[in-house]
Amino acid sequence: MTLEGVLGPNNRLEEARGVPVEAPEAVSVGADGRLLFSSGAAVFALRKWGEAPQAFAQFERPVTALCSSPGGLVAVGTLGGALRVCDESGLTVKGWAAPELAAVADALFLSEDELAVVDHGYTADEPLLSVAPWDDAARGKLVALRRDGAPRVLAGGLHCPMGLARDGGGALIVTEFERARIVDSSGETRQAGYPGYLGRLRKTASGYLMTCLSRRDPLVEFLKTEKGFVDAMKATIPPRYWIGPRIHPEFSPDFPIELGATRLFGAIKPWAPSFSYGLVIELSDALMPVGSAHSRADGRRHAVSDAVVWNGDLVAVSKASGELLNLGPTGAPA
Amino acid sequence: MSAQFEFAAAPKARTPYFVVSPRRVLSEILSKGWVESTVPFVAFLCVIFGVGLTSHGYFTIDNLRNLALYGSDGGLVVLALFVVVAAGGIDLSVGSNFAMSAFAALYCFHVLNLPVPIVLAASLASGAAVGVVNGALAGLAGCGALLTTLGTMITVRGVYTLASQGQLVAISSSARTDEVWDWIGSERVLGVPVNFWALILVAVAVLVMFRQSRFGWHVLAVGGNRKAARHGGIRVKATIFLAYTLGGVIVGLAGFLYAARENAVASDTGVGMEFFALTALVVGLGGFVPGRGSTVAVLIGFATIYILNNALLNAGLRGDFVQLAMGAILIVILSIDTKFRKHKHRLLASTYVDPVAFEVDAVAGAKGLLPGEIAAKLAGADILAAGLIDGPEDVILDADDHLFCGTRDGRLVRIAAPGYDEVETFAQIGGRPLGLALDREGRILVCVAGMGLVRVDRQRQVELLTDQTQRSLFTIQDDTTIRMADDLDVAPDGTIYFSDATKRYDIESWGLDLLEGRPNGRLLSWDPKTRKTRTVCDNLVFPNGVCLTHDGRHLLVASTWTCSLLIFDLADMRAGPRVFVHGLPGYPDNVNRASDGGYWIALAGMRNPVTDLAMRFPGVRRRMTRAVAPTHWLFGNLNIGGVLKIDAAGRVVDAYWDEPGGPLYMITSMREHKGALYLGGVTNNKIGRIRLAAADPSWTGPASYWGKAER
Repeated sequence: MTLEGVLGPNNRLEEARGVPVEAPEAVSVGADGRLLFSSGAAVFALRKWGEAPQAFAQFERPVTALCSSPGGLVAVGTLGGALRVCDESGLTVKGWAAPELAAVADALFLSEDELAVVDHGYTADEPLLSVAPWDDAARGKLVALRRDGAPRVLAGGLHCPMGLARDGGGALIVTEFERARIVDSSGETRQAGYPGYLGRLRKTASGYLMTCLSRRDPLVEFLKTEKGFVDAMKATIPPRYWIGPRIHPEFSPDFPIELGATRLFGAIKPWAPSFSYGLVIELSDALMPVGSAHSRADGRRHAVSDAVVWNGDLVAVSKASGELLNLGPTGAPA
Repeated sequence: MSAQFEFAAAPKARTPYFVVSPRRVLSEILSKGWVESTVPFVAFLCVIFGVGLTSHGYFTIDNLRNLALYGSDGGLVVLALFVVVAAGGIDLSVGSNFAMSAFAALYCFHVLNLPVPIVLAASLASGAAVGVVNGALAGLAGCGALLTTLGTMITVRGVYTLASQGQLVAISSSARTDEVWDWIGSERVLGVPVNFWALILVAVAVLVMFRQSRFGWHVLAVGGNRKAARHGGIRVKATIFLAYTLGGVIVGLAGFLYAARENAVASDTGVGMEFFALTALVVGLGGFVPGRGSTVAVLIGFATIYILNNALLNAGLRGDFVQLAMGAILIVILSIDTKFRKHKHRLLASTYVDPVAFEVDAVAGAKGLLPGEIAAKLAGADILAAGLIDGPEDVILDADDHLFCGTRDGRLVRIAAPGYDEVETFAQIGGRPLGLALDREGRILVCVAGMGLVRVDRQRQVELLTDQTQRSLFTIQDDTTIRMADDLDVAPDGTIYFSDATKRYDIESWGLDLLEGRPNGRLLSWDPKTRKTRTVCDNLVFPNGVCLTHDGRHLLVASTWTCSLLIFDLADMRAGPRVFVHGLPGYPDNVNRASDGGYWIALAGMRNPVTDLAMRFPGVRRRMTRAVAPTHWLFGNLNIGGVLKIDAAGRVVDAYWDEPGGPLYMITSMREHKGALYLGGVTNNKIGRIRLAAADPSWTGPASYWGKAER
């Protein structure tokens, strides 16, 4: 759980160029080279960093997942588990049946006719970050859908899966938020022990980009062994007050801190323990960390939900600050 | 303000007479010094029982007298070595020195025919001479103790052999008898051999020396850490020299007693004695431990070895087999002792924090006043002395409007009116100054964590008023020392009431007291007439702010972890506290008077549902302190605090908060002064000030307490 070596703290996320976006969640690079990003219930497209974004599509509910196919299709998951497939102009393509899903956490085109979707299993009214760490039930699944075909469950019993990618051999691998590990569709662990609560996983030319919604916390990990306490917390306290990873770094009188997080002279110590954190990990082909970008306890670009490589630059989404971040050329920092 | 408080109608606060906890008893026993000697003592008992069971008539009076008669000189040599080892040295020459001193006594008595007192002096001088040589070489000249005393051991043995061979015939053929000489050698006083009395006297002297005397303390300091002792101003070399010399004198006495008893020496007198003494010492102290002055443990070690050795020989075992058995038994005792010590530290570390289930009253009486529910009134506060002070836990203003606060580096600083931008050290106190108060003469009274109650007069003279109170009745650990004097106030008769927030933790680890949730604190008083300190009420839960009510008849005491304010009746302190306010939304720190007859309460942090729940789960908190690093311990939110205003009846009437990320976050104190409120925080480096629109612009704290005529 400690951040050492290539995972050692830096301020790359804090120092990155940023564009404010309201309620961002996912990004994807379209077949035409545009950067698609979600903002609430809308999807925008960006031709070049620094230009004004163009509206791409608008949906009824907030967007929860975004992915593009080489042929120009764009799949969009929205809150409540709905899924739509659009063409390059943002118009809905008919024929993709919406399966019964609790949520669409991430999606990936397997071909122009087939789409893989991960469903973490938590409905729109369950605050996932609060609930998932204290939930033993593995409600997540990996589903494949064909155009005009019935959905097919590729893997069930996943614990809060959040991200999806293809490995070098073409197999599907999935990140598990709370278990902090990557598994494949057979449920076998590919790599475990990451220092964060995992978000999405994106294949790059040299390996993968993996986002973390927060840093794993020794106190939360310890309390998982205290069943009586956690049961009492679940039974008597509303989920928004539960201890667990958070999106926003703000202080709240309703929420505890860890003793080391006490401010000194009014300043938050960068090394203070915090329930929110910004972290993007660059992984090798073998899923081993080779680089990282951080926003530390005193930063504000926490809860990175998605990251892609676009025109050679690493672009990430910070949910806490509501920004699209451009970290510049990828590669482990010198 | 018309609201009045009815003391008799308030519910009584529960303050236990004593705290019962097996874990605490265990941890307090484990932290006692004498626990160190448990294994040697048990080994001693085992030897006694073992010998008692296997050999008949061993513990008869006659045999015990014999043991005492023949054991005393060995015991003295162990004590001599003990003194040297305590100073960080070692003395291998005790055996040779012992033989030489015995020879000196016999030579003076039988050959020179000197009177017995002179013989004693000669014997002591002989022992001292060897000690002086050892001390001069190992102490003053800084030669290695092992090589030096190995050298003197061989040299003295050589001198002894030469001299004794020359005089052996003269000594053994002497027919001199002397009453005193024989009395020392074989008589008894009160049934105990005379030379055993000598051992008892020397043992008591050594015990008193290590416990009470300056020299003894210096010896232990030098043995414990030579460098630190030097930095502490102790004359290290002289101390070591004197320790060797004293050891030599004790060996000289042992030699004299031996000579008086045996009237003879042989070529093997004292041979191997240094190993016998060293073994006894190591068994008693549980290893070769310099800087430890446990005389009783050393004597127990000596008795164990002596009786074991004696009993094995009595049982008719061959000498070499006795040695083998002794060695094996010693290794067993020492390895058990080493294990015990190692685990003792672990056990103590894991049992010290002793949480208890603890129910905090639900938040009450502050509806509509919580952060987010009302405007953040502290957001527009003036910031004074930013970056110039470190940790103003309490702030106070005197009659001339100057601002005073304590700092983390142990100073009391003055921030001069009207600009409040220049900080000047008013007095260097030390410790961690916390609560402040002004007395009738305008002197500043300071509660200092780690020290006690301190008074600083207008001439800036610092006087420690008290640092100790009465010992509680039912405690194993001595709790007389005031550990965390926190806040205070002065009653009309001049009596100072002050809180000792916790008896178990220091200022650096006060957070553990919340995790424990036990009534570890107490309210104390100091009477200026008698200069006596009294425990007014023991077993309070983190008593923090102390404030005299406006009528001067009651005393408010904040109980931080229970999120409540207690009230005492000054006319009847024995009756104990009642609850003044409960269910506060945060952790109350200092409490002070407001100009409208109400009070201000500083909230150092905010409670929240998860922390409140954790207080009901002592096991979770205890395991957390063991499994999780301290920086990750679950805690109340100390990054948000504020000020509550209550009326004279204890109803919350207003609240002052900063923005969530604002500079006035953990507020530990506030003082109203001429229409403004000054705010301090124990982890802050600034003082906040807000204007109070509705407040009396002429009201000051000193005038409220002592009237306007006084200063």
